[in-house]
Amino acid sequence: MGYALNIRKCIGCRRCVHACVAENNQSRGTRPGEKIEWIQVLRMERGMFETEKLDHGYPEGLGIQVGGNAYTPAGQVLEGQFHYNPEAVPEKDATYMPIACMQCEKPPCVKVCPVRTTYREGDGPVVIDYNWCIGCRMCMGACPYWARRINVTTPVLPKAEMNPVTHYLGNRPRMRGVVEKCHWCLQRTRQGRYPACVEVCPVGARKFGNLLDPESEVSKILERKNVFRLKAELNTFPKFFYFYD
Amino acid sequence: MKKIAIYTLALALCGGALYTAVAMEKAKDEAAQAAAEPKEPVVCFESRKGATEVTQRDIKPGWPNVKCSPTTGAALWYGDPFDGTVPMGKMPGLENLPEGHALVKPRSEKLAILPMCGTACHNGVGPSFSPPTLPKDKKPTAIPTMESLVPDLKDLQHGRGRIWCLDCHHTTKRDKLVDHFGDPISFDQPQLLCGKCHGDKLRDWRDGIHGKRIGEFASNGKKRWFTCTECHNPHNVQDGERNRGFVQLQPEPPPQLPNGMKDASHELVHPVAH
Repeated sequence: MGYALNIRKCIGCRRCVHACVAENNQSRGTRPGEKIEWIQVLRMERGMFETEKLDHGYPEGLGIQVGGNAYTPAGQVLEGQFHYNPEAVPEKDATYMPIACMQCEKPPCVKVCPVRTTYREGDGPVVIDYNWCIGCRMCMGACPYWARRINVTTPVLPKAEMNPVTHYLGNRPRMRGVVEKCHWCLQRTRQGRYPACVEVCPVGARKFGNLLDPESEVSKILERKNVFRLKAELNTFPKFFYFYD
Repeated sequence: MKKIAIYTLALALCGGALYTAVAMEKAKDEAAQAAAEPKEPVVCFESRKGATEVTQRDIKPGWPNVKCSPTTGAALWYGDPFDGTVPMGKMPGLENLPEGHALVKPRSEKLAILPMCGTACHNGVGPSFSPPTLPKDKKPTAIPTMESLVPDLKDLQHGRGRIWCLDCHHTTKRDKLVDHFGDPISFDQPQLLCGKCHGDKLRDWRDGIHGKRIGEFASNGKKRWFTCTECHNPHNVQDGERNRGFVQLQPEPPPQLPNGMKDASHELVHPVAH
């Protein structure tokens, strides 16, 4: 399985975040630590070149604009806001980058788990057997994509809001003290259905498919579009690809 | 002493039974009241506010067709992705898909005035239609009734002045769109029309790269295809207030702040670069 996300299309509406919560039985209380969301949407400012800043930048006073734009952000810098809340999105001066578990082929979280409760399944996703998790949070520290969450409190999941279709390695209700993360909606994808975040994206930025099928959406994207992996230099080999038109 | 204990126990048991009975009565009353009060149907929108509304209903007990966001009124979860869909019809390039695996939600049902267009006004009869008198300069005549029915027409934001109504709408069959050969196209298949100009987008849409599909992810799986006009408003695609081709939407609420933090102002302070 593979995933692709069109970052030029994303409008930062956070619908994927809340669809994920509705599907995957995350804790949804109001007290500290009781609200868990697996997807984060990062809002980044658009960078700009300014003629009056041409001789600014480090080292000071040498008249060289370094880094392209002298103290203003540019491009995918992963420096931005997760808690943005404007009246309407997309904003003119911002780009958005949703980040969740990348389902790496060489996952650092799996390497560090002392009880080997997190591992990679044959069809792609990295999963957690919650029953064996000791809550040591080594994986949270090892993950370069900030993808893992821990239930520091007893999860709050009202009966009426629970999704009754569950998977042992996926969205079954978790207990206090265990780590959880995105698993590409195993309870859906193993039945052939799209993950919940793909289905609600109002702009169709999220794509999911079988990497082994040359006719699948993701294979076509890899074949035709400009694709990159986040933090590729870490050699984690994510199965989650960002692309743009 | 023993007697007192027995009496106390009996009293407690009676009290407990009485309380349970009262509580049950109360619960029954509440349930009856809830059943008597007609609930307002929850309506949420899928991609385009005002054009892709869907009414929430239970497919089976406790399993809704769609879950709606209480904050923004957006559709957040699909219980049945194929609810209310019909087969898409023939589409060049999709011949290999098994029968009934490409579904669409009919748009013509949502266009409330559509059945009237071809009968009430654009019916081909009357002095101005025989023979049809269309403006030769391809500039539409402002008709107040038409403009009030479809407000977007006052300021058409598509094609930057290079297209007009009948480049997309059929001259005589106004409840249809038109292709390059002058043949009618159903409002449920706008991709056949939009692909006339946006060929690269049509190719990407057909291959699943552009646009949205829900249902089964396999390349030959059963999917509901979102057509062009379910996401884009063809009358104002180049509106100035937008970014990246989409009308602005209200975002869903932000994540929880870390414990002890009052606001997220720390995110606005950029560390000095380098």
